[in-house]
Amino acid sequence: MAMLRKRTFWVGVLAVLAAAVGLRFTLAQSDLPDWVAKGEDWPARKQQLQAYGERFKTSDELYQHLRDAAGGGKPLTWSQMGEPAYDWSGVYTRTGGGLEFDADLAGRPAAKDFFEQVANGKATLATAQLTPAGQKVVQAKAKQLASTGGEYDPISDCRPPGVPRWLTEPFLHEYVVTPNQTWLMNEMVNDVRRVYTDGREHTLVEDAYPSWNGDTIGFWHQGVLVTHTRYLMHGQYQRGLQPDYSEQTTVVERWHKVDERTLQSDVWVYDPVNLKAPWYTRQSWTRLSNDDKSLRLRYWDCRENVNNLIDKKDDGTSEFKPFDFEKPSTGQGK
Amino acid sequence: MNKTRLSICMMALAACAVALPVMAHHSGAMFDATREVTLTGTVKEFQYTNPHSWLLVDVKGNDGKVTTWGFEAEGPSTLTRAGIRRSDFVAGTPITIKGNPHRDGRPAATWASATRLSDKKEFNPRAGFAVR
Repeated sequence: MAMLRKRTFWVGVLAVLAAAVGLRFTLAQSDLPDWVAKGEDWPARKQQLQAYGERFKTSDELYQHLRDAAGGGKPLTWSQMGEPAYDWSGVYTRTGGGLEFDADLAGRPAAKDFFEQVANGKATLATAQLTPAGQKVVQAKAKQLASTGGEYDPISDCRPPGVPRWLTEPFLHEYVVTPNQTWLMNEMVNDVRRVYTDGREHTLVEDAYPSWNGDTIGFWHQGVLVTHTRYLMHGQYQRGLQPDYSEQTTVVERWHKVDERTLQSDVWVYDPVNLKAPWYTRQSWTRLSNDDKSLRLRYWDCRENVNNLIDKKDDGTSEFKPFDFEKPSTGQGK
Repeated sequence: MNKTRLSICMMALAACAVALPVMAHHSGAMFDATREVTLTGTVKEFQYTNPHSWLLVDVKGNDGKVTTWGFEAEGPSTLTRAGIRRSDFVAGTPITIKGNPHRDGRPAATWASATRLSDKKEFNPRAGFAVR
């Protein structure tokens, strides 16, 4: 009898646990944001996605929530690689957005009076909710642009842009999906992000160190690749009035092939140093026509040509090093 | 054919507006977006390189002195997207080219557009940013 009661007890415990897990899965799944096109209702949809990120204090919580909703995700198999959802082949480029991290802000005024307004705190970025420290950085950039008309971009020496700036770079991209890893490649400075989808967790914090593209893990669920990135270097989202991001920055991305020519990623950036709330943006890439197969990703290095070397001036702007228009560039193999 | 035509025009752009091209790896502020230079000369070399290509053009001045100008454009992939191949500008090709000049007076400019005089074909590197 005692044995029966003990067994009943444990069956009950297991049932409650199973119900809890099931409930968590159901709840998480029920409020997953839908994939939506950028239609007429995009501003409202975008606000919902921003609010979705704001429900979570950290990117870890958001990522865990998405992972729970996906039941932990389902590893891909090689036999699935031919399916349209996972065939990301082709040469892509950023669909639009210019040099704005939030593509919806493309075309903002880039005039002296606007820079002065931002420098004086009378205008600001529309979608990034900055901390006082983050705002101070942007205001300093605005002051620099208002007073000199120029700036110095750290990537002028061909160092990588780093994540999350990586998402904004306008040149050629290629993507390779495999069951255990997905490679996100940017032509500029031969830049490859590796997303590990084989079930591993992040590098242990005691062994981690900041790097340009950080440490990215992910999982697949119904054709969507969800990623989490941490251990990043500090940087800036782009030139101009874009904010900076700190080494505490972490990122959640939901990548999805929405049609034959379009890859999209919903991105939430968390950075307690510069952002009061996660910064949600939608990033998009279009597969380019390449019928003659002339578009190829080639090696990229500033030292190919001496005429591309840049210095930072004392006033914080950029300048070319002395040109040499007499000597053929090394890039020509001479 | 080698006669040089040099004209530097002040452009009536919106006051203080910045309309610089997208530069791959550096700010474009060293070029003066409010001015435009148009030059005719012959191609010295097409440096088809990353992160930027340079079209070097020998330009003969009114005094007969030849100056090599450099015109900066995007790298090979963007040029390819604009339909500009390295073989389009072999050394000796006569062209007229225009762009925004360097602020410090060095013979350098952005490459906004170039016309190959032999067939009047126009080449616009910035067309390479079109998404199609």
